[in-house]
This record gives sequence, C-alpha cells and structure tokens, in this order.
Amino acid sequence: MNPDEVEFLGEKQFITIIPTFNSNTIHLITGDVGPFRASLPIRVPLWMAINLKQQQKCKIQQPDWMEIEALETIKENEKLSRTFTKMPSEHYMIEAKLLLGFASDDIPRADEIRTIIKDIWDIRMSKIRSSVDVLVKNAGSYAALDHLTIMEINTIRPILPHALDQIYRIKASPR
Amino acid sequence: MFGEKGYALVKELSRYEDSLPPYNTDLVNEVSNEIKLLIDQNKEDAQMTTDEGSGAPSMVSTIRIRHAAVKRNLRCLMAYHYNRIRCLRTMRWEFGSILPVDIRANLSSAESEPWQLICGQSVTGGVNLAVDLKPPKALYIEVRCLADYGNLELNDGSVILLKKDSRHYLPRNECEELIRQGVLRHIV
Amino acid sequence: MPLPTAYSPNYYSLDDILATQERTPCKFLINVPKMGNLNPSTIEKDLPAGTALELPMWLVLEMSTGRQPIVLPELPKIYKEAYREILEADACAVDLHKFNLYFYELGSYAKRFDRKGDVHQTLLHTFRTRFRQLMDLADNSISDPSVQQRLDTLERRLFKDGYNARTKLNAWLVESGATIEAANMVINHKKRKRLNMEDLMK
Repeated sequence: MNPDEVEFLGEKQFITIIPTFNSNTIHLITGDVGPFRASLPIRVPLWMAINLKQQQKCKIQQPDWMEIEALETIKENEKLSRTFTKMPSEHYMIEAKLLLGFASDDIPRADEIRTIIKDIWDIRMSKIRSSVDVLVKNAGSYAALDHLTIMEINTIRPILPHALDQIYRIKASPR
Repeated sequence: MFGEKGYALVKELSRYEDSLPPYNTDLVNEVSNEIKLLIDQNKEDAQMTTDEGSGAPSMVSTIRIRHAAVKRNLRCLMAYHYNRIRCLRTMRWEFGSILPVDIRANLSSAESEPWQLICGQSVTGGVNLAVDLKPPKALYIEVRCLADYGNLELNDGSVILLKKDSRHYLPRNECEELIRQGVLRHIV
Repeated sequence: MPLPTAYSPNYYSLDDILATQERTPCKFLINVPKMGNLNPSTIEKDLPAGTALELPMWLVLEMSTGRQPIVLPELPKIYKEAYREILEADACAVDLHKFNLYFYELGSYAKRFDRKGDVHQTLLHTFRTRFRQLMDLADNSISDPSVQQRLDTLERRLFKDGYNARTKLNAWLVESGATIEAANMVINHKKRKRLNMEDLMK
C-alpha cells in the first residue's frame, strides 16, 4: 500500500473540534455529523477537521494523548519493553503528521511533541527490523505483531512477504 | 547452438524495462524459420528410421534434442509477444489513452488492435477507473502548465487555454489525466 | 498503484527464460548422430558418448529426464563443495553477481542434480543470511547503483521493492499533500527522448 492510502484510512478517526460557525447536521455516506454550534466542541472525522481548519472555520482541540508527559511515559515504556506496547491511537503517526502540519497553532509545544513522536516511531521501527531479521534468519513460522499500527506494518511491505514467497519457492521447487 | 536467436529476442525485451523496443520482425522471422528447419529435419530423420529398419543408428535422441529446441524457440516467441502486450496494458495506465508518437511507431501492425481493446477497458459501467489513483485531498487543485497544449474544454463547457507556465485552478478530476501525462504539474 | 505480486515465474516469464539459458556441465551417455554442432571444439558430425560439454539448462533438463536419459547432468561449479563452503562461512561478503546473475533461479533447477540435498540447504541459508543486508540496503535509500552490483537478480528485485516502498514512505513523512504525479513511464520516456536529442545534436 502507499502511505497515502494508509493516511486515507487513518483520516477516518474522530477528533474534537470547536467550530466557529453554525450549521445543521450534515448527512454523509459514512454517517451524520453535526449539528454545528459555534464554540461548542463536536467530534468530527479527521479529514473534515483538517478541511474546516484550512477554511479557518474551526479550532482543533488537542487529543488527550498528545501531551508531553503522556508521550514521555509511552516512550519510556516502549524503550523498556521487548515487545511492542499499545499505542494511544491506531493511527498515531497519521494524526500527528496531519495535526502538527495543519494545526500547529492549536497545539502547544508542537515541536517537542513532534520530536517525541518521532523518537517513539524510530524505537518501534528498529524493533520491527530486528524481529523481521530474526524471523527470516531462524526460519520462524510466525511472529508476534501485537499493537503494531497499520502504518508501521506497511513499512515492511512488500519486501517481507515477497522475500518469504521466494523462500517458499526455493523450498517447494522439486529436489 | 539452438535457441540462441530466441534467447536474443527475449534478452532484448528484458533490457527495456519500462518501454517497448520496436517490434523486431527480422529476429522473429529468423526464429520461426529455425523452428521450421528443425521440424523438417526431424521429419526427415523419423522417416529414415522407419525406412531403413533396425540397421540404422537410432535417431531418437537426435529427434528429442531437436524437439526440445523447437519447444524452446516457441516459448521464446510466445513470451516475447505476451510480454509486449502486458507492457501495452501498463502503458494504458501510465500514458492514458493516447500513446506518444514514437512509441506507437514501435508497435507492430498486429499490436494496434489489442491497444484499442485495452483502451476501451478502463471505462466500464460509467466509472472511469483512471482517476483518483491516489486518495484525493481537495476538489479543486492548482496546476501549472509545462508545455503549450492548446485548448482544454471542461465539463461545464468553458474552455481554458493552456500555455507554457500558466497557472490554473481546476477541478481535480478534469486535469488528473493531463498531470499524469506530464502536461501539467500539480502545485501544492 | 498496481497490486505488487512476488516473483512467481510461469511459461511466459522473461526472467525464467533467461535463467534457464545459463550453462551447466553434463556428460553424454550415448552416441547422438548429427548433433556434432553442439560441441564447438570439433567439426565432427556426430556426438560420441562420453563427451563432456557445458550446455544451457533448458536443454540439459530435457535431455536428462525420461526412461532413457541422453546425458548425465552435473552441478555447475558454483554449487559445488568449495563454493558452498565460501557461502557457509560468510554469505554476506560474497559478490553473488560474480557467482552467477541468476544464482537462486539456476540453483533451484540445479539442485535436482544433487542427491544429498546440500545445494538446497545452501540456497536457503544464503538467502536468509543475506536478507538483513538487503533490508538495510533498501532502507538507506542511497540511489547508488553500484550497491546493487553484488546482488543477484532475485535479490535485486526485492531490493527494488524495498527501495521504492522506503522512498514513498520518506516522501510521505516529509511532505504534507498527496500530489498527483506524472507517470513513471512518462518521465522515463521524456528522459530518453532528451538523451536521444542530445546525441543527435553532438
């Protein structure tokens, strides 16, 4: 998959915004959103939030997990644990990128948050790489992928499944 | 050595990873002639074996080797033609429905018919499959024209003149094909 | 984006045809009349039994099967004991391209000639050991073409997959919009046209 496609999936996550306009319920294919009342928080899909923000029709509220202290705790847990820990959001990387990219004025200490999230990402990526290497080298038949987000799984596509296919082909060809 | 020409044909095609070399009619004919020659020789030897009886040396192994060469040449020819058509299909997605002139010159006469078929395939059931290859972010996008293209007619009837370096704010689905063809560039 | 499928050769695969053209040694068990032209070093019309030649794999495979095999095939030297030991010692340091451009493909065919199954083990072991190196190369995104020189065709294909995926990921991490881009074939086509024009004008 393209990272853009994963982002498309991640944009369906709900976040809270504070609209600056009034409007009735909007009926979308995926469900109804609204009604919008200015200054009252409301939950909308991420893609809609970004869109409204770009038109300057709302203010985005920082998600609970996107605080410095909470992220530091997650980072420490990740460093200490040998396997993957549960991330606060299924699409944390996508939310971080979009929110910090388009709405950094609504999020205090955005740069620090960006750095910490990047660190968490790097720690998890290196864990993925070493566990993939162990899987291939020792001809394991399964690997534990608990708590991995789709974006992270996507980084080892397509090289891992293709490599495993080739190993299978070599094994299966007639002796 | 048998099969050398077939091998050369396949090797030529494999060198051109993302475009099509001109259809090599000469080499294809040479391979076909080699196949015919081998088959004739085999017929002759098979005849000889049945004629002379058990006194003659057995030609079975010779016939087997020639037959293997025939199969090999046939495989090379089939693979050559098949992979050219596959390449055409990829080109439909990449170039859109109009092929650049020099690539069209590389097609053999027999290949233009499959091209028509392929072109007809991507608008099925009223849905154009060739738009939105990446998830869209906005309805309207800003583009810059890279070369003089001429007039572009939009769905609502208005006509836009596309001159080199002009910027426009256009609906996404109308200009997507032109961007993929390299005529326009998407500006973020 | 087209659905990426792993390499799985069929009758029409160009790479499989190229791989089976690689040579392997064999010995003729019977006289074969009129096939003297297979042996480039003599001008005899017939091929006597006992001749040892290096012939393409596709031919050797056809001739060595059936109730009356014409030849006795042997392992190409890169799959023999001495070379296998080099691979066992340090597979990552080996220049697999120098061994053979189609090392794994040819090996998959050649291992039928090895009774003991050592070639099979060596192929798997080599691939598994070199995989980490392959992944690291693909992740580091240096578009240095010489880095691919030491890989064989199978590894190069995997490298290309990994490299493309990594490039897309890096682009996504940096940029903030999904730009529509010109198709790859279009870009390459234009590059080729420009190069041709430059050659013509020299």
